[in-house]
Amino acid sequence: MTPFLEFLDVSFSYERNSVLQDLNFTMEQGECAALIGPNGVGKTTLLRLAAGIAACSQGSVSLDGRRLDALPRGEAARMVALVPQRFEVPFDFTVEQIVQQGRTPYLGLFSGFSRRDRIAVERALELTAVTSLRKRVFNELSGGERQRVKIALGLAQEPRLLLLDEPTQNLDLGRQLELLDYIRVLNDEGVTVLAAMHDLQLIPGTFSSVLLLGPDQEIRKGDPQDLLQPDILERAFDCPPRRHPKLVVENRILLERTP
Amino acid sequence: METEIAEKTASGSSTRVYLSILAFLLVVLAGVLVLSMGMGATKIGVREVLTSLLIGHGSGSTDSVILFEIRFPRVLASVLVGAALSVAGLLFQGLFRNPMADPYVIGSSGGAALGAGIGLFLLPRFSFLGFGAAAAMAFVGSVATIALVYWLARTNGRVPVVTLLLAGFAVSTMLSYSTYFLVVLDDNFGLRTRVLASWLTGVISVPRWTQLEVTAAMIGSGLVFCFPLARRLNTLALGDDYARQVGVQVEKTHLAIILAGSLLTAAAVSLGGVISFVGLIVPHMARLILGPDHVRLLPVTAIAGAIFLVLADTLARTMLAPSEIPVGLLTAFIGGPFFLYLLRRTRREYTL
Repeated sequence: MTPFLEFLDVSFSYERNSVLQDLNFTMEQGECAALIGPNGVGKTTLLRLAAGIAACSQGSVSLDGRRLDALPRGEAARMVALVPQRFEVPFDFTVEQIVQQGRTPYLGLFSGFSRRDRIAVERALELTAVTSLRKRVFNELSGGERQRVKIALGLAQEPRLLLLDEPTQNLDLGRQLELLDYIRVLNDEGVTVLAAMHDLQLIPGTFSSVLLLGPDQEIRKGDPQDLLQPDILERAFDCPPRRHPKLVVENRILLERTP
Repeated sequence: METEIAEKTASGSSTRVYLSILAFLLVVLAGVLVLSMGMGATKIGVREVLTSLLIGHGSGSTDSVILFEIRFPRVLASVLVGAALSVAGLLFQGLFRNPMADPYVIGSSGGAALGAGIGLFLLPRFSFLGFGAAAAMAFVGSVATIALVYWLARTNGRVPVVTLLLAGFAVSTMLSYSTYFLVVLDDNFGLRTRVLASWLTGVISVPRWTQLEVTAAMIGSGLVFCFPLARRLNTLALGDDYARQVGVQVEKTHLAIILAGSLLTAAAVSLGGVISFVGLIVPHMARLILGPDHVRLLPVTAIAGAIFLVLADTLARTMLAPSEIPVGLLTAFIGGPFFLYLLRRTRREYTL
């Protein structure tokens, strides 16, 4: 069986600086994976490659057995959506107007919104619980609300693979847990999820697997309980001994509550 | 139930309101046109204006000659220039994702004026399908200027207010002094000098009909070209990366916006010279009322721009009658403070 997402010997360089080197991993359909690794190791780049908005300098990225670089952009956009970390909107667009943009891959230049487009937008708003915010101006929302709108925007694309870049960043504890609930709901709906995560404590209970991108460009994949081990994390994140992230696995204050 | 929700969210609830706004603006435009044509050194009543327009050229009375030879072409020119500059402003604001962009601020008007000046100097007799060298070179000048400012001001796919304004300021200063240099070079002080000088301040004089036809064709095709871009502008507002992600060909779309905006600017400049800030004020007002959806903004901006400039030009030619103020001076008087207010607000809203 061909894997759903496949990175095969992928290298990426930006202005002669090599960012990623000879990366190999696969994801199955329906997986919910957390991408972790130290700052600047290339997590965002990896997500951009998976979304097909950056092209690898060597190797290939395939989605459902088809190479992304051979797919027309519009078709790829109907399969995979990336929810970016940074998202600035210069004008006062409402939540609804923003989420509608997610339908762009389904629309011609002149065709109007079809019934199917509207339903997709409604579903996206509902799944992320922002239906009541639809007429509000995006720039006036709180951080947690904005994060959910961004995910709704991704969902409106009706992707089979949803890529999230640090979705819990800048959120308070309650909003972080809330966001994880939404990610679980989406995953239950059959969306394959790959999310770059900074807070390792949030991973067990939500994510079924972990992709660890180490500083030496080696990528490891495994179950959360296997990979979130002090010795592994200590090396990957270059933590001094005694302050190493033993907490992550032992102190499960947050995670006990999760179903 | 589901359909009901779906129907309502197709932005359908306010479609009626939107159409009423559009109809209202058209009525206002018609009213402003008739009133404006009656005003001037010779006052002509509304009824006379209307009957003259209905009967046509034939009547031969002094009033009808004034109307058809002087007032009508000039008012029509204001309509064209106002619509073109406003829509160009809307396009550039979308392109730069920045509400401070305007054909004047980013130098595209200046580029068009210099281009037109060079065309007038080097190839005064050149003409192709009625398009003189001036109009063609104005287009080239505008495209080149925007391309330059775009290249100078963009950093990492974003155009911060500061770099946009600095690049636009530096480039347009160079351009306007280059145009001024052409005026100095031209020592015969003939018609050419006067035309050049009026391009620098922005004057809508009484155009010849052929000139109106050419610019109307340019502006008409520019506007038609804009409509498919309007939806793209909404997507581009969410960022280049996002637009790319949902399948928009970002570079090609940017190029199309630059070309359409330049066509509009070039047409406006070859008719009325450098008229500042219209493209800033009108889209901003429209956005306050309608929100940022470019599909809806586009027609409203065009009509409101026409109204705005007809009013401004009428003021310019009647305020200190019998002498006339250049309309560019008037829009600068209104637009300058407005620009500063916007700058103040923008600075507060986005720390770029």
